[in-house]
Amino acid sequence: MKTLIPYPTLDGEIVLEVKEARLDGKPLSLTLISSMEQVVALHQVERNDWERARIVLRMRTPQELMSDEWVDVACAAVLTEKKTNVRLVTPLKRQSDNSWIGVAELHRDWHVGQAEVEGIVTATVADVQGRVIARTRRRWTVDLHLRTPTRKRTIRTVWKDFSSEENVYLHPYKGDPWAIEAADDEPVVYLNSGFEGLQFLLDSASRSDRAVQNAVAGQIAGDCWAALFNTAVYSIDVEDGEPQWPVGWKESVLRRMLPDVYPDRSPDDALVELCERRRQGESGGELQTRVLHAATKQARMSRSLSVFIRTLRTVEEEK
Amino acid sequence: MEDPGTFGVWLGRQLRRQGMSQAELAQRLDVTRAAVSAWVTGRAEPRLEKIRLIEEILGLTTGSVMTLDDVPDSAGNVVWYHRPAHRDGGRELGNPAAFAFESDLRVLAREATQNSLDERRDIDGPVRIRYTLHEVSGERLYRFLKALRWDDLEPHYEAAADRNTKVGRVLTNGLREMRETSSLLLLRVDDYNANGLTGPEYDDGRFAAVVRRQLDSHKSRSAGGSFGLGKAVLWGTSQLGLVLINSTLSEPYEGRTARRVIGRLDLPWRQVNGEDYAGPSWLGEPDAEMGGTACSWWADPDTVDALQLKRDSDAPGTSFLIVAAHDGTGEATTLEEMHDALVRSLGENFWASMVAKSGSRPMLEASVVALRDGHTVKAAERVDPDEYEPARVRALRAFLEGTTVEELTSDEDVVRTTVRLGLPPLKDTVVIDAESPNEHEAVLLLTPTNDDDPAPNKIVCMRGSRMVVMKRSVSDVPMGARRFQAVLLAGLATGSDTPDAFAAEEFLRAAEPPEHNEWKKTDDLTAMYARGAAARIQEFRVAMLAEARRLLRVQERKSEDGPPALRDLLSLDPPPAPRRPGFPTVGDVEGSIRTDGAWQVRVEIRLPEREDPWVMAPVLRFVTRSGPKPVAEWSELVPESHCEVIDGTLLRFAPRVRAAVFTGVSDVTSHPVAAHMAMAEVDLVRPKEAGA
Repeated sequence: MKTLIPYPTLDGEIVLEVKEARLDGKPLSLTLISSMEQVVALHQVERNDWERARIVLRMRTPQELMSDEWVDVACAAVLTEKKTNVRLVTPLKRQSDNSWIGVAELHRDWHVGQAEVEGIVTATVADVQGRVIARTRRRWTVDLHLRTPTRKRTIRTVWKDFSSEENVYLHPYKGDPWAIEAADDEPVVYLNSGFEGLQFLLDSASRSDRAVQNAVAGQIAGDCWAALFNTAVYSIDVEDGEPQWPVGWKESVLRRMLPDVYPDRSPDDALVELCERRRQGESGGELQTRVLHAATKQARMSRSLSVFIRTLRTVEEEK
Repeated sequence: MEDPGTFGVWLGRQLRRQGMSQAELAQRLDVTRAAVSAWVTGRAEPRLEKIRLIEEILGLTTGSVMTLDDVPDSAGNVVWYHRPAHRDGGRELGNPAAFAFESDLRVLAREATQNSLDERRDIDGPVRIRYTLHEVSGERLYRFLKALRWDDLEPHYEAAADRNTKVGRVLTNGLREMRETSSLLLLRVDDYNANGLTGPEYDDGRFAAVVRRQLDSHKSRSAGGSFGLGKAVLWGTSQLGLVLINSTLSEPYEGRTARRVIGRLDLPWRQVNGEDYAGPSWLGEPDAEMGGTACSWWADPDTVDALQLKRDSDAPGTSFLIVAAHDGTGEATTLEEMHDALVRSLGENFWASMVAKSGSRPMLEASVVALRDGHTVKAAERVDPDEYEPARVRALRAFLEGTTVEELTSDEDVVRTTVRLGLPPLKDTVVIDAESPNEHEAVLLLTPTNDDDPAPNKIVCMRGSRMVVMKRSVSDVPMGARRFQAVLLAGLATGSDTPDAFAAEEFLRAAEPPEHNEWKKTDDLTAMYARGAAARIQEFRVAMLAEARRLLRVQERKSEDGPPALRDLLSLDPPPAPRRPGFPTVGDVEGSIRTDGAWQVRVEIRLPEREDPWVMAPVLRFVTRSGPKPVAEWSELVPESHCEVIDGTLLRFAPRVRAAVFTGVSDVTSHPVAAHMAMAEVDLVRPKEAGA
């Protein structure tokens, strides 16, 4: 989708860097700030009760910004969080070396998970003040829960003994090898450590266990994706007749699976179609077939299962 | 006369200069020869009447003895002395030390600057070093060659250039270039606030180390390779093997300090006018006591000027004039290129010597200037360390000012840690001294560098002189770690003056090859230290890399990721954009606002090939920050290629086509805001199904 801008903008690129971050005044180790991935990881076990985070930002702008063509030039860092609709604008001050520096402040109470920071440059263009003439191509992510500054996200997986005293909530499923909790803030795959042989199999590093291991992992993943998709479908909001993408893991799940659910529709059109099916409240038979297909692909089940079957046959023949 | 010794030295010099023997003076004064000898050696001094007579015989003005004035300098005193060939007929076809070095300008800047640093006189002030490239021609060249007694030299060059040796070829080139261009490139290296070439003419001392000896590294205790092998690079940089020297001494010799001048020429074996000559020649005063060899003289200001050796101030130090300078690599050929090569080399190798904590002065100030016949081509450029090594300079300055930290929290922080260096005992220590240090803690400084740093993730190593000894890459840097630059300070560079710092300084110097560009197993190392010395060096090299990696390590990830086989299947990362989407997409969009305020757009569409024609609704939306984007209606929709308009709002694309174009004009009355106040985008959506 190409954006049409009805006024001149900067040609060159602007770059936003995080110089340092502090939690309640205490500086954060630079190892928690990745300039390559553009992620700041704010979660620290030993400092879990912080209230304010201050992030020192520096923006570098191209030389052309210095030309007379641009008047009333200003730079800002814009911090947003979709879930809470928080939007904070931090003005950046021009330095002697023509970079721009400012401090963005996060209050822990105002955020729930991930905030994004974007740099913008504004100027008066054709008598209109404060028009955005450049924005950063990549955004920084400030994550309140991350312990390492990486963008890689996976669904959380934990081992629990389903029949143990402290896991009363898992008792109903104590005979199952795994259970999936598609909770609102973070989904979890529970693996039953009390299920005999499961942990041994999945954690095994032996090559001979590989085929079975992958087949079982595929089963778990397939169940997981199907369950998460169905939860995500019910979280789609419709505003002014237009379905809106949900946020967080639900958007991730839909974006990953919709191209397989409706391969001939754009993601936006696929979302519309999904809402339509939900609204019509049909039995959902055809939709479920498509969802299972997409889940199978996410879990790469076809491949692991065929390797598993081939391995089984070979073992049979050797006998 | 304050000191009889001083008088004796003075008298000896006057006799030498006049070619008069002690016996002759004794005869003319009517004293015994033993008496004159006693005066010259400082054991006695003459009575006043004899002094008057001495002044008369030597042709000096009355009172000269009191002030120790010299016989007026006459050009006739200075000659070239060429060393005769060995009687055994052995022929040396070049200076062996000169072959040990690559003689390019960058190496010259390294070696000469290092010598000057080692010879720094007043340690509270910087040693100032200046490189002057001067291309001379015409009258200036003529005057220079005359002062140099070129006529005496030319036959030697002709003879030496006429052979198939490396030296001969360089000489031939040098002579040809000089004749073809009628110009000569002089490179002068001056240092100020240095010791100067002190000491006697032939015996141990700085003068003899530089002028008389080859392969002599007159090393003082803390210095590294002062006037060592590196001095050969001076001669190697001269295409004519010729270097002139003018030194202002920090300690008087023969009672004098200013304008001690000598020239030295390194030529291979040659035959001139039927005589065989071998090795070096010297320009100076003939020394009757040494068989007529030429020795340094105290030149007058005019001579120094004509020889292009005039120094800028009275501060002690030495000027080396390299005649017919060239860059051995052949990379820098013009005056400007040579200037830049010198500046770069100084910046890269000596940035650390040029850094000081704020409010104090650095060890070194260096500048480079280029002239053509006295006119400035490149003005004196003071080498600015911040320009060459911004990150490392920040690291060193933080260390000197004590502002280093233990953990990096800002991209301008400098973290400081230590790297252990094991010190093996010296071989000749019979009883191992319990007090002698067996361990040294080197300092490792590390700081983030910019993303545009062309050569990040390197450790630069140095010891006392703060010259860059080596640059090492840190491999296997943890994923996602910041780009950095690091500095390793060892020995006296740590600022410590404890015995272990001195011992480490000695040990590491022994581990450097003559080029001082590596710490490794050397002949010196195995000769001087007990077994295991090479292993200590190797451990040190490994330890510095490991320590850098440790500083960069990202905190270990808590293992909540479950089984690896499952982890890959549960990624929530956004999927990559499909290379061939299964649905029509918008390609290039061009748009402008018409005078009536409507958007006029031209849109290219890409389609997956399909028998059944695609039907899509083009949509013009106004961009909002969040929430649904308002849609504008079309007042005009015109197919341009491979499509047709249905019902005025839909596009039906031709079957099996992969691309199509349409143009459209928006309906101004449907705009949510004036078009020029907002951004817009064009999208394709599926038409709402009938009845939906």
